[in-house]
Amino acid sequence: MDPLRSYLGRLLLEEITPVVMVLTTPLAEAACRKSGLSVVDMLSPFSLFKKIDGDSPPRCSPLPIIVCMTLVAFHSIGFCDLMGNPLYAVPVRTASDQPYRLQMFKIRMVYASDVRKQDYEVADQRIKPVVSEANESALPDLLSDPPQLEDVLSKPEAELCPLWIKKFNRALMRTLSFSEHETFDHPVACLLVVSSKDNEPISKFVDLFNTNQLPSLLNEGIMDPQILKHYLILHDQQDGPQEIAMNILAEMKSTLGLNDCKLLCINSSTEADGADAENSWLPYIKDFMQDLASNHIIPYMEQKIRVLNQQVATTRKGFRNQIKNLWWRKRDDVPEAANGPMQVFAVTLFFFFNRYTFTSIESQIRVLGDYAFMLRDYELALSNYRLLSTDYKLDKAWKRFAGVQEMSGLCYFMLDQSRKDAEYCMDSAFSTYLRIGSSGKRNATRCGIWWAEMLKTRGQYREASSVYYRVSNEEPSLHSAVLLEQAACCYVLSKPPMLRKYGFHLVLAGNSYYISDQKQHAVRAYRNALFVYKQHPWSYINDHVHFNVGRWYGVLGIFDVAIKHLLEVIACSHQSLTTQSMFLNDFFHFVQSMGKKFDVYKLQLPVINMPSLRVIYEDHRTYASDADVNVSESIWQELEEEMIPSSSIVRTNWLEKSPDLRKYKDSCVCVVGEAVKVRIELRNPLQIPVVVSCISLICQLSTSLDASSAVNSVLTTGAGEDIANTKPAISTFEDDGNNFTVSKLDIVLGGSETKSVQLEVTPKVEGILKLHGIRWTLSDLLVGYQYFEFDTKRKTKKGKKGPRRTLSNTLIVIKGLPKLTGCIDHLPTNAFAGDLRLLKLNLRNQSEYAVKVCSNEHNFWSKFNGTTQFEPTTTNHTFKEGFQKTTRSSEPQNYFFYEFTLVRLLTETISKVYVVICVPYGPHTRSWSMDDLLVNVAKNIKMKLSHPRFVIPGDLSEVDFEFPQCLRKHVQSEISTVSTKRTQGDAKGLLFTFSQVFPSLNVSFAIRMCSSRLKEYIVRMDILNRTPSESFILHQLSCNDSKWAISSLPLCDSIRSIETVSANQSVSCFFKIKDLGTNSCKEAENSSCRSDMLFLSREGNSNTEEFDVSQSPITNFHYQERYQQGRLAKGPRDLLDFILISKAVGGNYSKSDPDVQLLSHHVCHCSAIDQSPIWWFMEGPRTVTHDFSKSYCEANIQLVIHNTVQHNISARVVTYDSVPDKSQTVNLQDSNSNQGGWYDVSLENDIKAISTAKGTHYQKQPSESISPFVWCSLSSSQVDLKPDTSTKVPLKVCIFMPGTYNLSNYQLQWKVHSSEVGQVDENQRSGGGQGHPFYVTVLQDA
Amino acid sequence: MASTACFAIVSKNDIPIYEAEVGSAPKKEDLAYQHQFILHAALDVVQDLAWSTNAMFLKSVDRFNDLVVSVYFYLYNNIVFFNLMTHARFMLLHDSRSEDGIKSFFQEVHELYIKIFLNPLYLPGSRITSSHFDTKVRALARRYL
Repeated sequence: MDPLRSYLGRLLLEEITPVVMVLTTPLAEAACRKSGLSVVDMLSPFSLFKKIDGDSPPRCSPLPIIVCMTLVAFHSIGFCDLMGNPLYAVPVRTASDQPYRLQMFKIRMVYASDVRKQDYEVADQRIKPVVSEANESALPDLLSDPPQLEDVLSKPEAELCPLWIKKFNRALMRTLSFSEHETFDHPVACLLVVSSKDNEPISKFVDLFNTNQLPSLLNEGIMDPQILKHYLILHDQQDGPQEIAMNILAEMKSTLGLNDCKLLCINSSTEADGADAENSWLPYIKDFMQDLASNHIIPYMEQKIRVLNQQVATTRKGFRNQIKNLWWRKRDDVPEAANGPMQVFAVTLFFFFNRYTFTSIESQIRVLGDYAFMLRDYELALSNYRLLSTDYKLDKAWKRFAGVQEMSGLCYFMLDQSRKDAEYCMDSAFSTYLRIGSSGKRNATRCGIWWAEMLKTRGQYREASSVYYRVSNEEPSLHSAVLLEQAACCYVLSKPPMLRKYGFHLVLAGNSYYISDQKQHAVRAYRNALFVYKQHPWSYINDHVHFNVGRWYGVLGIFDVAIKHLLEVIACSHQSLTTQSMFLNDFFHFVQSMGKKFDVYKLQLPVINMPSLRVIYEDHRTYASDADVNVSESIWQELEEEMIPSSSIVRTNWLEKSPDLRKYKDSCVCVVGEAVKVRIELRNPLQIPVVVSCISLICQLSTSLDASSAVNSVLTTGAGEDIANTKPAISTFEDDGNNFTVSKLDIVLGGSETKSVQLEVTPKVEGILKLHGIRWTLSDLLVGYQYFEFDTKRKTKKGKKGPRRTLSNTLIVIKGLPKLTGCIDHLPTNAFAGDLRLLKLNLRNQSEYAVKVCSNEHNFWSKFNGTTQFEPTTTNHTFKEGFQKTTRSSEPQNYFFYEFTLVRLLTETISKVYVVICVPYGPHTRSWSMDDLLVNVAKNIKMKLSHPRFVIPGDLSEVDFEFPQCLRKHVQSEISTVSTKRTQGDAKGLLFTFSQVFPSLNVSFAIRMCSSRLKEYIVRMDILNRTPSESFILHQLSCNDSKWAISSLPLCDSIRSIETVSANQSVSCFFKIKDLGTNSCKEAENSSCRSDMLFLSREGNSNTEEFDVSQSPITNFHYQERYQQGRLAKGPRDLLDFILISKAVGGNYSKSDPDVQLLSHHVCHCSAIDQSPIWWFMEGPRTVTHDFSKSYCEANIQLVIHNTVQHNISARVVTYDSVPDKSQTVNLQDSNSNQGGWYDVSLENDIKAISTAKGTHYQKQPSESISPFVWCSLSSSQVDLKPDTSTKVPLKVCIFMPGTYNLSNYQLQWKVHSSEVGQVDENQRSGGGQGHPFYVTVLQDA
Repeated sequence: MASTACFAIVSKNDIPIYEAEVGSAPKKEDLAYQHQFILHAALDVVQDLAWSTNAMFLKSVDRFNDLVVSVYFYLYNNIVFFNLMTHARFMLLHDSRSEDGIKSFFQEVHELYIKIFLNPLYLPGSRITSSHFDTKVRALARRYL
């Protein structure tokens, strides 16, 4: 690129130009004033001579006049085309003989009074308006959106670096004008202006130059006072005829010189004489200036260059001169080194003030160089500068050295050669200026700006920006800000663009602007940098930028934008406490300044934890208390396994949906007058406490279904970020007092605190309620709101696992219903398997609707009483008292309570406890929940399986699905008695779980049929105490059915004295049970044969009350146990159930304690170990007295055969007369006894022992002898037995001699006729058995 | 030990995944953002240099007044896949001139970083929150800087 066409080139051509000092008389000045101009103002527009291509007439614009004029001048002849037809550039000849042309030439016109070094402060004050002016134009920009990356990259350089910055640069450089060490600002010529009205104009001219008004540069000898003088007489044509002026001019020419005097006529007429009148005097000025430049200034400079060049050549050029020069300088140095400090000081003063006067060779070389530079003879200038630089360096005149280096750098640039040299020169000049301290700072700045421009011209933007940055360090904040901004621009322009540097430098610039009180500029700079930092999570940077932008916008009074930016930073958790409070204070300050509350979408303070959102409303599962809402669904499912019907059935029942509501099938339900609760977590990210008030829900309740569906469709279409736009304005959600009320909550969130708040909305009318979002007021200043994010996808996914109750925002409001809650006081924390406890349930009606408990209330309660009555006298008492206190009808908000007994399951593995209480549950009673129960349990135990919950809503017809049989039976029976009038009776169940159920007693029974008696069984009961410390007193053993009688074995009465089973003890005992049959009453009358057997206590009768197991609640519990155990049992055979009731006498229970702890153990579905399909036994006289002397004895006996199975059986009795083989029988029994731990106690052995004790000698009968008795009926008889019937086969035996005989030598063979083949075991389809022993004693009749 | 030192690991997308003020000078509130600014701006220079050098340790890539940014360039030009995976830059803003110490510091931190990186639970490019790592880095800073 041609250096002259570059910006720097043009800058140099315009700035480094000859200066013409103007001296005026007051009258001359006054003449110009009439036109509103000073003399310099008038002449300056014509001081630029530029070659322009083509023919363009000079433009004349209204004041101030700017005229571009073409100088057509042959320097020796001075001919010019008046109307400026430009043809040639100015040929110039300097030191060399070869003339060249100037493309452009400019003269700077300066008043003599201005030719002095400016004060820094004054100069800076002049610069300030340049920046401030730009402020006003920046303001509208600030209201628009900040620029984006593409905007910045696509901007041309001129826009990045606006005009005012260039103006600023020039102004900054001009503050250095007329410095001592540079001569290009020194006046080349002096223009003396005298008005034609002045008296004695000639002497005025002399006076002007001789007065003390001359600049100090001239007076102090730094400049040569013998400069070119030019005399101008100014004539206003209004003041008189031109002849006067002409006369003065002639006089001047004669005295002051022929060529140096000029007349300039102006016309200050205000008469409307048209354009011509106005312009008539302009050509004169043009002519004058052209003449001045081409005929006087340029020749003068040329001549001076030649003279000086000659002088330099003779004194400094050549080998001899160089040696001489070196020697002289060295000699000057000697006294400096030899003498003391004072001497050095003196010498320094000398150097400083006197050394480089205009007469000194160094100054002359400098003048030569500068003149050459101004006339574009850069090679000549450069050679002189280089010569000079070594001199100054040797003299250690650093400022001058730097100045020279600076100029030589510019020369290199203008010559467009040796970039390296140019940079080296600029660099050394810059650093030298910096080294000399404060006096060189501004020079360094100018040098830096030139240097940076030079680098920019060459495309080295990165280097340029670093130069700008270095310069900015040396300047006051305002200047440094502008310079930093230029540095930033350079970073964008560099290839590739360095945006991060751009941002950083803009931020630095913004900071400096702010310090120098240029807020608009500061905001502009920061705003331009915003896009750089937008995406990156450099937290501190983002906070700083947004905070400052926001704050400054606030200071400028643009509050809305300020708040927008400050919103970005108020939730800065990573900042320190002081910073946070600073951010917050400023934010609040601006919000207050706004003077009105306004809404902020997604306000970050406090942070709303959306995943924590829980909507708590009534659904078919949520009967639990609020505290249970957060319990995981899987726990509920585990607990409610098999307890509740499937959800769809229930829901259709109690919701009673109208067809209109069908489309809201998936929606949830809430009730008029009852609050829907929304629980959500608020987190304060700051360390400062924050006051959050008026936290409330944004809701919408539409009573019209159609309208709401329309809204619904609109809302669902909007997704993602657009949701804020598609949602109706927040104002439409204002509390609609007619339809619903929302709760308002005020909290103070401490530093870094997270609080879970519960918000409520209470619908007042039926309809569709939508929960849209949450709204809160921060510090009473601004309202934040946020919409809930209901993720529909997630909802459907979770739906498979089980109904969710949190993720829908649409709720159906149904009409008001009563609501009962209940709680149990003092729920035991743990229990033994089999514990029976008395608990008290308090019920409360929370709603404003009355519960109609029951039409026949008395009946209900008495029946209820019956079901729960449990007979220990101690508990019975309190139980009844409790009922007397009961409030029978439940008024709104009243309490009523009653007590009931609680039972657990026998098996340890299941820790559920069912309590089925029957309270009227109908259309009027809706739901129950347990408030305190969980809390109690949770406080004491902290176990997870501890959640009571009401279950079983709905009416019975729908309950039966998968509902436990025993429970259903129970429920049904109660319903039938309780609500007879109600066709659709409903029941509620309670489900409790104990956290810990300890094993207590293991009870097992082994039953074996008694072979000698029909329907009698020998039972062994094994009890193992599995507790480590508790002892249990066995209280009672009962059968479930009254047809069974339990009795102790005749000789084993001692089992009744088994009283206590200590810890870890194992006890076995035997007893006998007998099937009394349904119609058998003979033995039932005997008091010793009952279905209950009490274990005797040593302490008398105090604890010997018998519990009636056929009554509730034990019978209810038994149903339930039976159901549970029946599921596990195989096969159809079951005989009877045992219920063992025991008392705990552990360390906690003294025996006198009225609250003695009862346990019941249920063993169901017991059956005999070996069981054949038929039973038989002999019936007949045991003792016969017969007189054998007459005849043999005939004994009539009957064989009773009983069919126990449900099939027809044909049985055949075969008698034979041989003695039965006992050992064979025993073996048979052994093979069948397969029960572990149970060794066979043969009944035969017992009986044999008894027989032996009686002293029989039957065994000793020789087997081969003739049998002493024979059967005397048919040897075989066949009978058919219908199911469950008995038949008697008459038998007769003939006995020949007295004695005791075992009539067991018969066999019974049977065959089962089963219609269904698979039902009976193949082994038992047919079989046979030896006869049971039957002893008949025949006595000789005496 | 350097009076000012700010260490940062910058991930591929110019996101700082670890930052620590490890200088001995008392922490000033207003300097925190300044350090971030300098490090962030230095990324421009690093980006330029990254493709022109094979050296892992680039000393004094950028400076701001008397603060110098040194970079340990964790980019293996010859292992392409690793480069794609990591491309992490260790940047240290410091005012001390002990080049060897800084280099050793970087190398040791590099080892720590690899350990973090090998953790299967660490998602590459996510923020390093390990307190162990933090403690170790600060200890290294005390030792070398």
